[in-house]
Amino acid sequence: MPEAASLPNEEPLGGYQLRVVREVLLALLARESSHGYQLRARLALALGPLASALNDGQVYVTLGRLEKAGLLSSRRVGQTDRPDRKEYELTPAGREQVEEWMRDTSWRKSAPAEFHLKLVAAAAAGLADPVGIVDQQRRELLIALGQAQRAALAEPDGSVAALLLEGVVLRLQADLRWLEACARYWNSMEER
Amino acid sequence: MIEPNASVLSARGLSKEYGKGAALVRAVDDVRLDVARGESVAIVGPSGCGKSTLLYLVGGLERPTGGTVQLAGEKLEQMPEARLARLRRHALGFVFQAFHLVDELTALENVELPALLAGASPGKARRRATELLEQVGLEDRAEHLPSTLSGGQRQRVAIARALANEPAVVLADEPTGNLDSAATTEVLRLFEQLHAGGQTLIVVTHDERIAATADRLITMRDGAFVDETQLTGGTARSITEIAGLEG
Amino acid sequence: MGRLLLVWRLATRDIKRRRVQSALLLLMIVTTTTTLTIGLALHQVTDSPFARTRAATRGPDIVAEIGPDANAGRNLGRQFAPLVRAPGVAATGGPYPIGFVQLTGRHTNVLAETEGRDVAPAAIDRPALTAGSWISPGGAVIERGFADALGLHVGDRIDLNGRAFHVAGIAVSTAQCFYPVSSPGVIWITRGDTRALASSAYPLGYILDVNLHDPNSAQSFESGSAATAFFNATNNDTKSLMSSWQDTEQQDFKVVSVDQKVLLIVSTLLALLAIASIAVVVGSRMAEQTRRVGLLKAVGGTPLLVAVVLLAENLVLAFAATALGVALGQLIAPVLTNLGNGLLGTPPTPALSGQSVLEVAVVAVSVAAGATVVPAVRGAHTSTIRALNDPAHPPRRRPALIALSARLPVPLLLAIRLVARRIRRSLLTAASMTIAVMMVVAALTLQHNDEVRNRVAVVGTSTVAGRVTHLVFLLSAILIALAAINAIFTTWATVIDAQRPTALARALGATPGQITAGLTTSQLLPALLAACVGIPLGLALYQLAGGHVSEASPPVLTLLAVIPGTLIVVAVLTAIPARIGANRAVAEVLRSD
Repeated sequence: MPEAASLPNEEPLGGYQLRVVREVLLALLARESSHGYQLRARLALALGPLASALNDGQVYVTLGRLEKAGLLSSRRVGQTDRPDRKEYELTPAGREQVEEWMRDTSWRKSAPAEFHLKLVAAAAAGLADPVGIVDQQRRELLIALGQAQRAALAEPDGSVAALLLEGVVLRLQADLRWLEACARYWNSMEER
Repeated sequence: MIEPNASVLSARGLSKEYGKGAALVRAVDDVRLDVARGESVAIVGPSGCGKSTLLYLVGGLERPTGGTVQLAGEKLEQMPEARLARLRRHALGFVFQAFHLVDELTALENVELPALLAGASPGKARRRATELLEQVGLEDRAEHLPSTLSGGQRQRVAIARALANEPAVVLADEPTGNLDSAATTEVLRLFEQLHAGGQTLIVVTHDERIAATADRLITMRDGAFVDETQLTGGTARSITEIAGLEG
Repeated sequence: MGRLLLVWRLATRDIKRRRVQSALLLLMIVTTTTTLTIGLALHQVTDSPFARTRAATRGPDIVAEIGPDANAGRNLGRQFAPLVRAPGVAATGGPYPIGFVQLTGRHTNVLAETEGRDVAPAAIDRPALTAGSWISPGGAVIERGFADALGLHVGDRIDLNGRAFHVAGIAVSTAQCFYPVSSPGVIWITRGDTRALASSAYPLGYILDVNLHDPNSAQSFESGSAATAFFNATNNDTKSLMSSWQDTEQQDFKVVSVDQKVLLIVSTLLALLAIASIAVVVGSRMAEQTRRVGLLKAVGGTPLLVAVVLLAENLVLAFAATALGVALGQLIAPVLTNLGNGLLGTPPTPALSGQSVLEVAVVAVSVAAGATVVPAVRGAHTSTIRALNDPAHPPRRRPALIALSARLPVPLLLAIRLVARRIRRSLLTAASMTIAVMMVVAALTLQHNDEVRNRVAVVGTSTVAGRVTHLVFLLSAILIALAAINAIFTTWATVIDAQRPTALARALGATPGQITAGLTTSQLLPALLAACVGIPLGLALYQLAGGHVSEASPPVLTLLAVIPGTLIVVAVLTAIPARIGANRAVAEVLRSD
């Protein structure tokens, strides 16, 4: 990853902090250029009731930062009866970021929203097959679950570490269940 | 790569249909499966995807509409019931979701039943059953009736029963379907032990924990395989990350 | 109301789920109600045949006869006067001319007695036609026993004293005994024809029918003053005779009694066996209903509601079975009752009276009610969950039998464990089979019945003998058919009941052959019990029903043959459904649980 075009640091702007706003915005621009208002609307649609916690200004500020980091480029579009809009477009560096995100299977604690938005973005921008992403992630999680489970079984009776491992196992199990639901949903979307 | 002659079970073009015409249902649709000796395979999928039917087909408990099944070197599809039954004795052990233990027999008597049916002497059957109950950790429950055992214990008895005739393959249909989390762990532990001892296992399951400990994971949907993955490998990085210890 | 509907829906859903068993049950009950219906219909026939005929034909209390000889009829009025004017006489019929004639038919040449009658029906002694129509000039009506003996039917041509007649009809009457009790046989023709047939060789006589104010005093009238006066008036000139209806009845009865007895025995047997069958069927049904009770309670039914629903269900079953049984009985019974009526010389009566239908209904309903009480009461006391989870009773554990069976070859292992797990069911099966054995024993005893044999020998004429044998054969055949149906249902139901454990055994490695052998053997144990108990019980029942069992009938060897016979039949009947079931895919059976 070229140093110059790395992602700017996320700074809390107050309100709900969405870790992956940067990646999602980049991904949403992968197919076509868009302006801030549109991007925000899409994000809100994907988040549903959770969108209300999204800080109003967060999207625009992030877009600005991304442009400053060289991952986006913008141009002014003139409009007849409104003030000019800024239209954003991915740069090659930005595109590379997106592709890396698509490939990334690391799983963080605030998982559902992140992964969910990844799938939405992938579908919207035609970046990848959401079902494929789900399957890929599922495999990773299953392997992790297998490891955690074996480790738990290997612990002697009454071991306190076993409790932690059990926690890991159960959360992974829950995540996997959700992934199954994702697969079902995106599968049925495909079939339409 | 699985070599055909190391397979203890292989199926080609296996299908099972129910109904006719407009009401035709393809429970299993043109499935190809090879299971090597000592391998453990988990089959997952949504309800009604045909995974249980597939298990019954490879276990000779249901007749396929098309395709072939080879188990321990013998072709199953045209075999008459009597020979199937005899084959089942030493080639298969079955574990059901509903346990299907005989209510009026003790745990020990339940476990020795397949041996008796196979013609073993009462003494030999009894000894083997005692061994197996020890193996599953229930030797102190040998004289208990199923109604006095917990769900997990009952399933362990059922697993012991499935092992009575030293089967080539153990087939398990949703073995933890009726069990809570703790009981599932018991069964899981047992399966791990069996696997470690070289037992070939095919498990149909909803439970991710069981699926995750298999060597190979097959996903079914609408009667066909849609995914097959090897689950061995993977790094320790994933657990630590998930446990909240990030680098 | 909504609750009742829901509960009802649950109940009917359960019946649909086990369609085969429910159908078997219904068929079994219908068989028993049909049997009961036939039994009652036959019983009706045997009930005072003479009295019925006498009432139907307005039979005379007294019949007085003068001649036939040359002097009879010289002074009829004076001769019959003492009787006509006697105190106690309510009415008289006739006098009717009578005469002997030579009857020649296709293969017959026999002496007969004619009685000259009016074409219009008489007030006293109105012979009841069992075939054809009443007399006309040239048309003769023949007494039924006589017609049977001669093999005559309506439309046949006969010659009386050389003159051509045709058989217009066949009738019964109680004015005289039937042929061959009273000989020569009687033929009714017109008065004109009677006189035309008379000659010096075949002179006329006269009879007078008398009805008394008190019919029961007929026998004392015979030895009373009026009778004495009659004899005095006629003795010097001609021969005279008098007989009362009681005399006729007693004479008739000597012959009829055996036939009547046979019918009575069989009808009673059928009724008793039918009721016993119903009891067994109900016993097995009660076991299933306990689970139903649990289900109803679980969805909120109070004990009263539960009892009501159970009762309603059982009543529907009872009414359906009654209706079907009566309908089937209507089809089958007439065949037997016609035969019976023929034997007893009674006019045809409808096969089923309203009373017998009512009796069948009462039995069915009371059984239904009884069958409700036990599960309802039991259900009110047991915990709901227990009733739901346990199928009827949980299979019992018998450690000794389990240990024993482990040492035996697989079919015996399966057989013993199958019987041991549900002893009660096995006992019910044995009870059911016992009833079947009793039916067979009754049929055998009937066939070897000495009295029937003797009767046939005494009467001697082919038609009547044939009819008795025919009837006995038919009744025996019915008994055996019922026994067969009973056996089929019992074995089939047992095989179905054992579906799950046998499927499991197959999943664990038992071959279909071992399963079939096991199931069959498991049925042989109750069958043996049934045969050993059924033979003496069958004989006892036969005696209870009024029959007579002598040392020779039936032969001991035949009776003993029933034991291996039962075992073979049960083995075959079990092996068939067992074999079919043993080849079904195991998964099907286990999955449907």
